[in-house]
Amino acid sequence: MYVHRHSDGAAEVSVLVEGLRCTACSWLIEHAMASLTGVREVGVNVVGKRVRVVWEPQRVALSAILGAVARLGYQPHPLERTALDDVTTREQRDALKRLGVAGMGMMQAMMFAIVLYAGALEGIDNPTRDFFRWIGLIVTIPVVFYAALPFFAGARREWHARRPGMDTPIALALALVFLASVIETIRGGAQVYFDSASMFVFLLLGGRYLEMRARHRAANVVDALARLQPAIAQRRDASGAIENVGVHELRAGDRVVVSDGATVPADGSLISPACRVDESLLSGESKPVLRRRGERLIAGSIVTSGPAELNVERLGTETVLSAIVRLAGQAQQQRPRWATYGERAAGYFVIALLCAAAATALGWSYVDASRAFSATLAVLVVACPCAFALSVPAALARALAVLARRGVLVLKANAIENLARVDHFAFDKTGTLTSRAVELVAVTPMATHSAADCLALAAALETGNTHPLAQALRAAAGTSLPADIVDLHSVAGAGIEGKINGKRYRLGSASFALDGRASSDSDDIVLADASGMLASFVFREQVRAEAASALAALRMQGVEVEILSGDSVCRVAQVAKQLGVETVRARVSPAHKLDRLRQLRARGKFVGVVGDGINDAPALAGADLAVALGSGADLAQSNADIVLANDRLDALVDARVIATRTLRIMRQNIVWALLYNAATIPLAATGWIPPWLAAIGMSLSSLAVVLNSLRINISAANRNLTPRPHVDNALAAVPA
Amino acid sequence: MTIVLLLIPLSMVLVACAVWAFFWGVNHAQFDDLDTPALIPLSDDNAVSQCDEESAK
Repeated sequence: MYVHRHSDGAAEVSVLVEGLRCTACSWLIEHAMASLTGVREVGVNVVGKRVRVVWEPQRVALSAILGAVARLGYQPHPLERTALDDVTTREQRDALKRLGVAGMGMMQAMMFAIVLYAGALEGIDNPTRDFFRWIGLIVTIPVVFYAALPFFAGARREWHARRPGMDTPIALALALVFLASVIETIRGGAQVYFDSASMFVFLLLGGRYLEMRARHRAANVVDALARLQPAIAQRRDASGAIENVGVHELRAGDRVVVSDGATVPADGSLISPACRVDESLLSGESKPVLRRRGERLIAGSIVTSGPAELNVERLGTETVLSAIVRLAGQAQQQRPRWATYGERAAGYFVIALLCAAAATALGWSYVDASRAFSATLAVLVVACPCAFALSVPAALARALAVLARRGVLVLKANAIENLARVDHFAFDKTGTLTSRAVELVAVTPMATHSAADCLALAAALETGNTHPLAQALRAAAGTSLPADIVDLHSVAGAGIEGKINGKRYRLGSASFALDGRASSDSDDIVLADASGMLASFVFREQVRAEAASALAALRMQGVEVEILSGDSVCRVAQVAKQLGVETVRARVSPAHKLDRLRQLRARGKFVGVVGDGINDAPALAGADLAVALGSGADLAQSNADIVLANDRLDALVDARVIATRTLRIMRQNIVWALLYNAATIPLAATGWIPPWLAAIGMSLSSLAVVLNSLRINISAANRNLTPRPHVDNALAAVPA
Repeated sequence: MTIVLLLIPLSMVLVACAVWAFFWGVNHAQFDDLDTPALIPLSDDNAVSQCDEESAK
């Protein structure tokens, strides 16, 4: 466990808490922990299932704090990759088992219920009827006492937190229906409802299971620190030999070798002369940056021209990467918690339902006491908030499934509603609007050589190089290469040098290629020989093929679009021009991104942020809706509400259409459930609906809700994804 | 009709067997990953051939 020591003696730790899944839980844990003396700060992250505690070790032991959590019925675990996987797997298997038991129990209970329904219509002798009722009771027991356990446990927690949520009415209705049926079975009364009870459980568990699976799949990415930082580092020992050690064994002052393409394990200063590192995850800078001897390398960045050797300075929780992660975590906790409309409504609903049932019992006991029980039961069953309870989860589960099939993973429950509400999207540039690759836009040859010759020479020099610039050059040059290339060697951070057909050429930054004879600040790459400059190459980031159409479609939906990037002004402006975006902010630091978002929200905008890098993580966490592209850093995804796993921007457009539709269907479901109850409760209360008819009506109303939810896919899905146009822009742009 | 007195307990035994089999499957990771196994035959990595070699031994 990583215990982070504050300077004033306080300690901070993050633990994984099993069973944490709702705002009521987090409220409960926060109060239980904060009431202990010596605990300074408690932060609960429901989606990540983790709790961050700051405490004073001399006043209270960590075991006492965790014990308080355990007493509430939540299992704390050390935050490790394996523990996280274990908890997820166990939760998923547990849910699947309960769903399976509920499903099989439901089928059995329904089968025996059909005998009873047929018997009610055509006549059945009492011993046979009672026999089938007892059988129904037996098959329903595992459903209620095993499969439905999460609802009862949830209701108990909600009761402890004094916050009635969705589980309370479910547990209450289930308990009442089951108890009434057991009493009726023993008493030989009018009607049993074992089929309704088990179907109720099965449908609810099914909805929750689908929701959980979709959440898990994406939340797998949460443990970003552990994933971004490599687990193994290569340390140079006193004798100069290189040994593989775990990153946690590293100490400040160690010398570490990072090979080409590997990730830097810790913050430190460079000992070797120069190297290029890709810090795009941390800074948003799209080009690998040059680091010289003595300059800082940051953990999590990737060495693109190595090997590099560095002197370890800071490790673990003290690295820049961890600081960014903590910043993101704080922004995440600042989010206002809001109980969903459905949860609140269900609370009122169940109170109204109980009042109605009590009034019915009271009324009938004056009029005709013998009919009081069956009428009360009819009210309870007919008004059982099944359809109501299903109206939101069924639509959500369907929407999650439809979205997942399009490669859109939804991590947070509110994300769908928020996506439909977003009226202002801020896009990061690097890796979001542009792909990682660059393209060659122009070759400017000097008088002596043609553009094609220069291009061929440059491509030959870059043979075997994996740098994006080299790939762009090779792609533009095609396959015809000069045969005789010798003596190739690259100078880290500057360029490449080699002999072709006996002549020496240099390719790289202007100062390197011309060996200091020319001073040029431009980003262009220059090809030169001993006599001087031969050609210069201009590169441009490649805008994603689908970006323009996706942004246009978003604007068509009435969403404002802006670019918010940490990259340089001219490069951002170039991309903005290509995409037709007018609102552009370049050179924005993560803190300023947060400011900008706050400013937009103050103007009443509902702001969505689309990004991919870690530098976006604080901005993503501070947005109303955070969308991350799947190919981006895992960390950004952990803070995101929505992940576009197929790495395509147009999925966002579809997702917004589906989200809007989901909200509409959800509203229809709620209205339908309320209308159904409003119409049937008076009839049941006045004795017009016998309990068996009430059970059928309840099942049908639930079915109507489920079927309505299935419609989410039908017309929303018909919009075709725009095909990816395959145009080799680099070739087209090169003058002949 | 007395046959139901035999058939119904029998059906419940069968359901119990089905539940047991389902639990066994869940506990043995049969349902943990429903997406990727379908793609295994399409990939030509060595994992499959290693299995073949092991079973051939």
